[in-house]
Amino acid sequence: MLEVKEAGLWTTVQDMGRVGQYHLGVPPSGAADKYSYMIGNLLVGNPIEFAALEMTLLGGTFFFQQQTLIALTGAPMDAYLNERPIPFWQAFTVKEGDLLKITSCAKGVKSYLCISGGIDVPEVLGSKSTYELSRIGGFYGRKLVTGDMLNIHEPLPGAFKQAGKSVPLEFVPAFSNFQELRLIVGLSSYLVSDSGVKTFLSSEWTVSPESNRLAYRYKGPRLSFTEHHPPFGAGSSFSNVVDFAYPIGSVMFTNEEELIVLHNDATTGGGFVTIGTVISQDMDLVAQSRPFSTCHFVTVTIDQAIQIRTERRKKIEHLVQLLGR
Amino acid sequence: MFNLPETSFNFGGDEYIYAEISRDMRVESNFKALAITEEVRKRNIPGIIDVVSSNASYLVRYNPDVISARDLLVYLKEIDLTKSDPARLHLPVRIVEIPTWYDDPVTQEYSRRFQNRHPEPGLSNFEYVMKVNGFTDKEAFIERHSQTPYLITMVGFLPGTAWHFPLSHHQNNIIQSPKYDSPRTDTPERAIGLGGAFNVIYPVNGPGSYQLIGRSAVPVVDPTKRLADLMETSFLARPGDIWKYRPITEQEYNQIKVETEEGGYRYKMKNIMLSPLEYLEKGETYIRELMEDF
Repeated sequence: MLEVKEAGLWTTVQDMGRVGQYHLGVPPSGAADKYSYMIGNLLVGNPIEFAALEMTLLGGTFFFQQQTLIALTGAPMDAYLNERPIPFWQAFTVKEGDLLKITSCAKGVKSYLCISGGIDVPEVLGSKSTYELSRIGGFYGRKLVTGDMLNIHEPLPGAFKQAGKSVPLEFVPAFSNFQELRLIVGLSSYLVSDSGVKTFLSSEWTVSPESNRLAYRYKGPRLSFTEHHPPFGAGSSFSNVVDFAYPIGSVMFTNEEELIVLHNDATTGGGFVTIGTVISQDMDLVAQSRPFSTCHFVTVTIDQAIQIRTERRKKIEHLVQLLGR
Repeated sequence: MFNLPETSFNFGGDEYIYAEISRDMRVESNFKALAITEEVRKRNIPGIIDVVSSNASYLVRYNPDVISARDLLVYLKEIDLTKSDPARLHLPVRIVEIPTWYDDPVTQEYSRRFQNRHPEPGLSNFEYVMKVNGFTDKEAFIERHSQTPYLITMVGFLPGTAWHFPLSHHQNNIIQSPKYDSPRTDTPERAIGLGGAFNVIYPVNGPGSYQLIGRSAVPVVDPTKRLADLMETSFLARPGDIWKYRPITEQEYNQIKVETEEGGYRYKMKNIMLSPLEYLEKGETYIRELMEDF
């Protein structure tokens, strides 16, 4: 059992996400920064997809009522085990009665607390991930609050052999205040004028504070759209198209001065103009973008995107070798 | 075959393929999307994660570690070209009645609450939609809006939300409306919204940009599974189903609401076999036949 003494700013149970329900309007949810989340699981000897806690900007305080093995990954928050500082990206044994206090981070947004055996919540529609808007999955479908008592599974047999293992520095993300986000241009990009596409790609975009698990919002320069007559059925605004199902990672313009990148809890469809889709690897970077940090967008082809994906897979396979039990 | 342009395919990042059947909204485009997604789903291809039929397009999510992106594109193009013969399409769907209180006080109140982001702050959403469609008589508007059956052309946004599009052959008869430029931060559950030519019923409270014209007495989601008809999935909406509004009074609205809260309400429904070919050939006559004894 894990007792929540302080819940932090926005702490939810997440795993790899929910699939096969998108046609019903149920988004995937799941860990926002998959890379950090998966590595946390590897550190504690779990399969990569076991449910963990995702914390946002401000961690939380947790009281362990049983001995287990834990690891913290993601945005480097200050963390203390019984008031003694502990590092991220390393596996630790915690004993019954230990208090883990996780405070704020100077870089990044999302941190993960992975526990051997995983968080024990029921699967809903095939996943333990929390989707708060519809109160699906996770711990009663919501973020944690002070006083919650979470069931955690027994540590996996042999897990304690992992204690002390850590992730080599070259595998730890930088959590930079400037991100380069790679996307494949397409969808309704034909509605953005040539000079609009140029402005989009050559400008710096600033993350706004309203960003969350549904979508990250960015402010930037004014963009020009092609002067099109909205297609029949779409509404009357230049930025409307006939509503369609959005890919996660869609980059869309809600008006001429704001763009949105849809994240894992996105509304699954709508009628805004989309210029393309951020590749799945870089959704981790989006998730870790702090308010007022900046980014710019770079186009890649499908072949480049697949190559980037393969490189990342190899990196994780390498870590499995390195950290595996 | 449907009289449709060539489908335009796009890679949506490394995990999605997006297929746009037509840029404008047509009932044929939706029938084709239903046909293709049904075929893809039936084939149960390893590595395909999600298959979504939408208004005039469809979306496939796949795992590129299992299927090559370019091979899947070729594969989908082939299905798109060969598997949408309307003559071979028979959709087992339902007609469902939505008892509706048009121009109710709650949606009027929301019009006022969010009037600062509305193009015509002095009008309620209902009055605005009447005005932009040239109606001066409320009853005439309700009559037009409720007599047309609506095809569910897409499910999404929030779980259980269904876009539905009028089954009318005459574009001029279709009620349309601009959306809010800046979305409302809240919408009452079961509110009926109109944006472009599409209607939605908001399943739960939440953001929204469609004009609110009334309220359904019956829920479209039932997470607690009290209602026998929503037991299976807890969602009322299914792509391809037909929804029919029936105008009701405040008194009947309250009565139905009590029945749904107590769990005894049964939706008025009829199972039919929807034939896109007959719709294309006979148009509204076919729809009238389908609706005859409903």
